[in-house]
Amino acid sequence: MVPALRAASVVGFLLLWEWAARVPISFNFPSPWATVTALLALVRSGALLEATAISLQSLLLGFGAAVALGVPAGLLMGVVRPVGRVGRVYLDLLIALPTAALVPLVILSFGINILSSAVIVFVFSAPFVTMNAYGGVRDVRPRLVEMARAFDASWWQLFSRIVLPSALPMILAGIRYALSRAFVGLIVAELLLSPFGLGRLIMTARSMFEHDRMFATVLWTLMFAGAALAAVARLEARLLRWRA
Amino acid sequence: MAAAERHVPATPPAPVAIAVESVSKAFGAVQALVDVDVRVRAGEFLSLIGPSGCGKTTLLKIVAGLVPADRGRVSVGERIVWGPGPECSVVFQDFALLPWGTVQRNVEFGLLLRGVEAGERAERARRAIAKVGLAGFEAAYPAQLSGGMQQRVGLARALAVSPRVLLMDEPFASIDEQTRRVFQDDLLRLWSEERKTVVLVTHSMEEAIYLSDRVVVLSPRPGRVHQVLDVPLPRPREAGDVRGTAEFARLVDGLWKILRKLQ
Repeated sequence: MVPALRAASVVGFLLLWEWAARVPISFNFPSPWATVTALLALVRSGALLEATAISLQSLLLGFGAAVALGVPAGLLMGVVRPVGRVGRVYLDLLIALPTAALVPLVILSFGINILSSAVIVFVFSAPFVTMNAYGGVRDVRPRLVEMARAFDASWWQLFSRIVLPSALPMILAGIRYALSRAFVGLIVAELLLSPFGLGRLIMTARSMFEHDRMFATVLWTLMFAGAALAAVARLEARLLRWRA
Repeated sequence: MAAAERHVPATPPAPVAIAVESVSKAFGAVQALVDVDVRVRAGEFLSLIGPSGCGKTTLLKIVAGLVPADRGRVSVGERIVWGPGPECSVVFQDFALLPWGTVQRNVEFGLLLRGVEAGERAERARRAIAKVGLAGFEAAYPAQLSGGMQQRVGLARALAVSPRVLLMDEPFASIDEQTRRVFQDDLLRLWSEERKTVVLVTHSMEEAIYLSDRVVVLSPRPGRVHQVLDVPLPRPREAGDVRGTAEFARLVDGLWKILRKLQ
């Protein structure tokens, strides 16, 4: 049932796209076939993989830093309550504000290079990692802490055996959401200001009116992000088998 | 024979396992316990009962070393209680199982925290699991078990560390009636085999009478020892039909008459 529906939705989407290209709904709107052809050509020429490799650097640097710093920061906020109360304000600001507005500021501080894309990826994703780690610690069942204390658990045992595993589902959900935010940040940065990687490929194709190449790159980016998210979701399901 | 020994007043008298001496505890302006004195003999099964707000759970937690007393002194065996110690295990009303751990991992948990090495840990946990009747469920997760089975895991975890004292905080309150009765009989059987000292907090009069050697009735706001009741029902009770006897009914009724005045 579900696989059939899924297949039908893909076919429906392709038909709609094909129809949009035949009308066409706008000047030079590429058909699915033209897009796929362009995609294959881009892959074969190596341009797409090269751009992906560059984007991947910013992504891994920014998102990696978001996880590596964001999780401990959230845990610290959860464990040391005063730190949490102060830190929360900044987190709320970073989450509520249109982060894209920070792009010019980041470029100003770091220059136009891969590092500044990475910083923007970090700014887009880190608050969600931290917020969820913080929330995960705050949601620990007090009864489990009491149980471990009854066995005379040390501070470190409480943290590693109760707090961390309790918070893990929320931490992982935060990481998964932050990854999707990291992709948004990456493309925003590469489109708006620092012309590297996939964003640059999209912009170049657009300025040359090579709309099939532009679409192909966008499609590739979506597939890339989808695959990365699916990988994280699988890791999550594996680590949280006990919830099934 | 082990069971009989407990009821013939032995000479010299059985050593005191737990001594609670003029313990008081306040939470802010609320006086939870005032001048509470309770002595539990080694190997005794003692229940704490009283209306809600009488501080029975607080008293249990003070004995467990989870809550500090404001005044007074608690000793378990030779040890003055300042915090949790190795002689006591606690069984919680809501089981307090790790949802991410299998039955085996949950039962090993206390041993793990106390630094028992892996091989011995696994072996002792397996034995405790078998004792509570859960052999074969080692790989199951708590969410896959019924409430009664989850509490058996909680009991196995408590027993695995070989405590001298078992502190039980309304362990049967979240379990359905049929399961509860079977579980109570299993607990009595385990208790007579293992010769532990048990302190049980309950709000069920039948449960208190059925299980205990003595029942301590606490009065509420502030919590004080109101009365201590002896339960002279013969043991082993789990084998016969003690609940159906006139003596059982009379004792439950007597307890009810005391509790009714305290409401």
